This record gives sequence, C-alpha cells and structure tokens, in this order.
Amino acid sequence: MKNKRFNLFLIAIVTLVACWSLWPTWRDYSLSKQLDSFASPQDSLKYALTHREEIENARKKSLKLGLDLKGGMHLVMEVDQVDLFEQKAWNKDGKFAAILQNVRAKAAQSDARVIDLLSAEFRSENIPLSRYFYDIRNSNQEIVTKLEKESEEALIRAKEIIRNRIDQYGVAEPVITTQGSRKIIIELPGVSDENRVRNLLKGTAKLEFRLLREPEEMVRTLDRINSYLVQNNQNRVAVQGSPVADTSAVAKAPLPPGAKPAEPVTMQPSAKPLYDVIGVFQNGTAYTAEASKDYVVTLLHRSDIEALLPQDSELLLAAKPDVGKNGEKLYSIYLVRKAPELTGGVITEAKATFGSQGVQPEVLMSMNSEGTSKWARITGANIGKRIAIVLDGAVYSAPVVQSKIPSGSSVINGIGSLEEAKDLEIVLKAGALPAPVRIIEERTVGPSLGADYIRAGMLSLSWSFCAVSVFMLVYYKKAGIAADIALVLNILIVLSVLAGFNASLSLPGIAGIVLTIGMAVDANVLIYERIREELAEGKSVITAVTQGYDRAFSSILDSHVTTLSAAFLLYTYGIGPIQGFAVTLMIGTSASLFTAIVVTREIFHLLLTKNLMSDKSFG
Amino acid sequence: MRIFQKTNFNFIRYRKIAYGFSIILLVTGMVSLVVKGLNYGIDFRGGSEVVIRFEKNADVSQIRSVLDAAGVSGTLKQYGMDRSFLLSTVFQGDTGQLKSLVSNALNDRIKGNHHEIVRIDAVGPSIASDLKWSAVKALLASLFAILLYVGFRFEIKFATAGVIAIFHDILTVLGLFSLLGGLFTFMPLEMDQSIIAAFLTIAGYSITDTVVVYDRIRERIRGQKPSEYERIFNESMNQTLSRTIITSGTVLLSVFVLFIFAGPAIRGFAFAVFTGILIGTYSSIFVAAPLVYDWLRLTNSSVRLRGSKVS
Repeated sequence: MKNKRFNLFLIAIVTLVACWSLWPTWRDYSLSKQLDSFASPQDSLKYALTHREEIENARKKSLKLGLDLKGGMHLVMEVDQVDLFEQKAWNKDGKFAAILQNVRAKAAQSDARVIDLLSAEFRSENIPLSRYFYDIRNSNQEIVTKLEKESEEALIRAKEIIRNRIDQYGVAEPVITTQGSRKIIIELPGVSDENRVRNLLKGTAKLEFRLLREPEEMVRTLDRINSYLVQNNQNRVAVQGSPVADTSAVAKAPLPPGAKPAEPVTMQPSAKPLYDVIGVFQNGTAYTAEASKDYVVTLLHRSDIEALLPQDSELLLAAKPDVGKNGEKLYSIYLVRKAPELTGGVITEAKATFGSQGVQPEVLMSMNSEGTSKWARITGANIGKRIAIVLDGAVYSAPVVQSKIPSGSSVINGIGSLEEAKDLEIVLKAGALPAPVRIIEERTVGPSLGADYIRAGMLSLSWSFCAVSVFMLVYYKKAGIAADIALVLNILIVLSVLAGFNASLSLPGIAGIVLTIGMAVDANVLIYERIREELAEGKSVITAVTQGYDRAFSSILDSHVTTLSAAFLLYTYGIGPIQGFAVTLMIGTSASLFTAIVVTREIFHLLLTKNLMSDKSFG
Repeated sequence: MRIFQKTNFNFIRYRKIAYGFSIILLVTGMVSLVVKGLNYGIDFRGGSEVVIRFEKNADVSQIRSVLDAAGVSGTLKQYGMDRSFLLSTVFQGDTGQLKSLVSNALNDRIKGNHHEIVRIDAVGPSIASDLKWSAVKALLASLFAILLYVGFRFEIKFATAGVIAIFHDILTVLGLFSLLGGLFTFMPLEMDQSIIAAFLTIAGYSITDTVVVYDRIRERIRGQKPSEYERIFNESMNQTLSRTIITSGTVLLSVFVLFIFAGPAIRGFAFAVFTGILIGTYSSIFVAAPLVYDWLRLTNSSVRLRGSKVS
C-alpha cells in the first residue's frame, strides 16, 4: 500500500513539473496572441511596455523552436589547417609548397585529419618534419603533437572570434560549437540578411600595413613579366586559363588618358601579353579592368611569375574598383613588400564613420601603446612614401605618408557603403582569425517556410494523436481511456523536457513525437492483450491486471531498450536535424516506459478499488 | 473489439514460402541497387539546393529555360505539391551569389508571378563524405548493440536471427528506394540523413516486434522436448499475432499521418518508416522466429534461455 502511495505521489510530481516547465511557453503564446489582437500598433506597444518583464521572462523560458521552424541559418565552417601549418613553417621552399599542395588536395577529398595527411606526405617523401617546423632537433612525433596543439588552439580561437563577430552584429541566441578538429557549427535563428552574415563570417580580417615599392620598380617588374610572357608564348599557344574573351574585353574598353595604349588583340600571340590585360599610368600605377581581373589574379600568383618579382615583394589588387572615365571598373595593382610593417593585432578600437567630405564611408582605428610607437616610427621614417592598408590580401587604400603620426590612429577608406564599413568595424574589433575559414555546409530556411513547417507539424501531431487515441478507445473501451491519459501525459513530458533543458523543437523533432505517439501505446497494447489472455483463462479482473502487467513487463522492457539504444546511437552519430529527431524519440520512449507501466496501472488500481472495472473493461 | 479471435495459422509449415518471398524481395532490391543505384540527396552527394516558391502556378519548363538563360546549371524539379520548385546544382561555396543569380533572373523574366526563395541548402563534398561515414557507423553500431542486447536477454541464436530479420527489413526498404527512386514527383525518395534515421528507427522497431514473439516462445519452451518445438513456435506466434499486428498498426497509423501532413521534407522518411515497419512486422513472424526454429532443428540442440521469468 505504501508503494502505491509513492507511485501516486510520483505521478503527481511528474505532472506538476511538466506543467510548470511548459507554463512559460503557454504564457509566451497567449501574450503574443494578445499583442497581435490590438487594433493599433500604439496599443500593442503600450501593452508590451507595461508587461515587458513578463513577456521577456516567458520568452526566455518557453520552448524554443528549431532553425527550420523559426527560419534562420545553419552553417558549418572549416578552419583551413593547411594554411595554418603553412604559417607555422619556416624556410619554406618549392618542395614544401609541392607537399602542401598535395595535402591540400587530399584534405579536400577526405575527412581524415590534416595533420595525419601532412605527416604521411612527409614520410612518403622521406623528409623529417623538423626541416620546416620548429626545432631541427625535434622528432616527428614531437612536431606532430605540437602542431596538433596549435590547430586545437586555432579552432578555439576561431570560435571565439566568430562568436565576437556575431555578438557585435547582433543575433538573438546564436549557438556556436566546435566539432572534431577543424569544424565550427554556427546556428543563427531568424537571420534576415544572410549575405551580410556570410561575408561577416568568412573573412579572416587579417589587417596589415605594408610599404609600397617605388613606382619605377613597379614599371621594371611589369616589363620583366611581359618579356617573360613573350618568350613563353613562343612555346605555348595560349596561356592557361586565359579565354580569348577576357583579353578582347579589355582591348575594347577605352583606356583612361595617360595610360600606355594597349595593343589591339591579334590572333597570333601578342607582343605585349601582359599589357593586353594590364594598363599602366605614367605615374607608375597599374590597373586592370574588371573583366580580366580573375585572369590577372591567377597569372600573378603563378610561381614562375612570382619568381620574377623583386626580393620580398608581392603584387596585390585593390579591394574595390575605381570608376574610370567611361564608367568602366578598374582595379589598381600594387607592388608591396611582403613583410608587413604592422599588423591588425595592435588595433584596439575601430569605428565606422563618414570621411571628411561626408560622403565616403571609412573606418577609424586606434592602436595600443606598442602599436602607437611603432606606427610613429614607421610613418616618421617613410614620409613621402606610400603605405598600403591591406585587409585579407586586398588593398583598401595606399595613402602617401604626409607626416609622422604620433597618435596611433589610422584610417581605412575606399569602402563601398556604410554598411560595409560597419561590418569592417565588427571584424576589426573582433580580431583576426588564426587561419582562413570556409563555409562547407549551409542550410537556410526562410521564415515563411518555417511557418509552413509549423503548420504541417501541428497538423500531423493532432491527427496522429486523434487517430491513435480513438483507435485505443474503440479497441479497448474503458482501458483505452487509461492509455489515452497516459499518452497525453507522455506528450506533455516530451515537450516539457525539451523546454526545461532549453533544447529546441525542430520539424524532425515533431516527427519524433508523432512516431512516439504511435509507439507509446504499444506498451499498453502488450499489457492489455496479456490481460485479455489472463481473463480468457477465467481469472478475476484483479489477478488478470496484476499478472498482465507483470508478464508483459519483460517484452516492454526489451522493446524499449532496443528502441532507446537505436535512438541513442542516432543521436551520437547523427548531425544537426537528425539529432532533434533522436532526442524526442529518446525522451518519448523513456516517458512511455513510465506512463504505460506506472500511470495506467495506477489508474486501474484506482478504478478497481472503486469497483468500476469488470472483465468487459478491456474490450 | 477484437480483430483476431483465436487464430491457428501454421506459420512454421509455410515458412519455406515466406523464405522464398523474402529472397525474391531481397534479390529484386539488390538487382535494382546494382543496376539503377540509389538517388543520393545532397547530404551524401554534396551540392546546393534552392527551393523557390511562386505566388501563382508556374510552368516547370518555362522556369527551367529562364534559369538556363541566366547561366544557372542544374536540374529543376517540382517540389512537393504546391507551387514550389527545387533547383539542385553542384556545390557552390557562395550561396549568396547563387541566390541573387536565381532571384534576378526570375524577377527579370517572369513578371507578375512573385517568387520567394524559401530554403537554401549547401553541403560541401568533404562534409558529405563525413555524413555518409557517420551514417554507416551509426547503423553498424546499432545492429551490434541490438545483437548484444538480445543475445544477453535471450540466446545467441535468437539474437542472430533477430539481426538477420533487421537486415532483411532495411535491405528491402533500401531496394524499394532504389526501385521507386525518382518515380514520383511528390516524393523523390532520395537517400539522405533522414533516411538513415528511418533505418535506425526500423531497426529499433523491427526487433520490438520480434522480441514480443521471442518472449512468448521463451515463456513456453522451457523444459520442453525438441519434438514439441514446432507446436510451441506456432502457438506462440498465433498467441502474439494480435498484439504484433496492433502495436505495428498504431505506429503505422501515426507514420501514415506524417506521410500525408508533414510535407515534402519528411515524406521520404515517413515512407521509409512505413514500409520498414510493415516489412518488419512480416519478418518478425515469417523470418525471425522460423529462422530460430530451423537453426534449432538443424543443430538438433535444445534451448538454454536466460532471463525467462515464470511466475
């Protein structure tokens, strides 16, 4: 008898906790209904202001909807570990570049760890890792461990920086987690401007201040590349990746005054292959038209071309095009020193504003004390020269240093819009990523589709509940009522556990609940069928019920354990949406073990003591 | 109400017919798998998918030609039943670009029928192979876990036959997916993560039905002579027939609701679970238990069962 009272107590507690946990969800729902019901926006605003605390509380504790139901973005980003290892290496040569090229190709194909691929590649080439990494005395194993640690740290740092960026941008309840050794999973509910978010996330935000080479040097370099290309063209009919359309497009574009006129394109190999795609002003600045930009970029990054550049130099393109006289878009090309004078690490504050003329957006930056003194020294030593402000490998501006800057302030201009300036401000404040990141998976659901999903999910839930509960009533009569009560409690428990643990409900999650509805009554079916058998053997109702529960228990336990273990493995190995399904299935199955065995039994016990049950009660 | 009064089917006697039926099912499926292969969704194939919904009815071929003209390469299909279309292309790192390309082309060329891009999915090739591997791992791990559990609760012969029945169910559904894949516009039957979830659900549920039958056999077989096994197996299956059908029936009912109402994103999953449970119910009666019977008969051994409780 004492045991029975404990069971009743347990049921009451579970029901109360479930209701308590779902109460904020109900409040949230009814409050937003209330807000919608007002005739004018003023009224609803007034109501919202007076009930602000209540609304916020309810919203915070209510059942969260998943990205697919609410609309939003799910992104998986990958930290480029090959790039990271490249940064860590020293005295890099052609061999090293070739090995990394191989590793990069392999890493894109498989999900093996990059460090394993790297060390395997070195082993097959029979080169010790210590030739390029850390200390010459380190063993391969030591270096692998060190690099592993580096990449782990890089992942965590990247995650923190991405979190900073998102926080600054302002997304409600973002979820950012890492997975494995190189993936970051980002969930952004209710994001409306996906494009902006994407741009915000993928930039490395590596800011550098680099000295420009002298203009004469630039002209000489381009000439050298040109004559090299002429030589090469004798052997090669077409430069790889250079569609004829590219060059002709440039040739047709009228050149700005003061530029060396480009040769008209002829069918035979051009005498000036480089100047077909690149124009040079008399003051020594070079540019390329938008149509040939991609070709120029690949051309300038060819290793044989890079070898023609002056020591410790690099050719970079402008981030934004200048508009030429006839409206054509021209990208400037800069020859800069490879080693930056100063990097973005010294930036402490960034602010997007409009420039002195009030139309051009720009970003003002200030530096820490170390950066300030360095900046003063650099600007002081290079008066009259140009310093390029480079972000993620693209030149934003290259102002001439007018005077020494002692205040540690600098400015990025050449930015298209204020919105873009604001994004720059965000990424500069959040800091640079340790290595580039790439988006490797993206799932975006618009809010209207989310609303459709909710409607579809609710329809399925209510219909399957109706169908199953009516079936139980028809098939088992009075005993069906007990099963239906247990079913209601089961659904309540699933939802309340989700709300209580701050998990979110997704469409697959709803599918899990619908499936649970069908499975939860199974335990009752097993018990009732057993009871019917016992009754058929002529036992009294009380004995039949007791023995039915006892004897069906073993099957019920077995079937629940197998379903639970399948759901658990699905949760462990599944990703994203599938986990939502697995979670609701797990909660639902566990709950049904409780509701079908304890709750229905308690109901029968109550009915039996009141003499409300007969052998007809089981249909 | 009762669907089955007292049944007295001789399941064991007709088991060879059932074996034959199962083998035909499996072989057809396997042949289709080899010849036709599977229709992989972007989870496993990698790629980008855009779901476009129009305000009014639109013609597939018209939209297709507009997108072709805009330089969007890929296939366009009707998606679900409402005015939605699914565009699938190779993986595009920059989905923003794809979206604006599609959006601009449709805005320019299809006037008076407003469209909305309601969903974009992009899965890179490396993550696709990741997903594939974790799916295979999850499946194998769950089969192994079930084998262990049932082996521990019953006996290794029962467990093995149960797992064979699960294989039978999953392979049949897989064969159906290959056979029917791409035939219906309202359900493309693509292999994706949700289908793996369906397989695991089927695995968990198939053994549920099997365990009910096993449980009854275990209860009755204790201390019986091997010559009595045929009678006991048959009686056990007949006694549990009603509950096997009804437990499956309630699940089928709710999965059917899911199939009808939950929309195109869930339809493939619902189809897989529905057919899987149907096959699973069949296999627990016609495959799992008869296999145990044959095994016992051929090895001429008696059953030593664990955990059977007689009160």
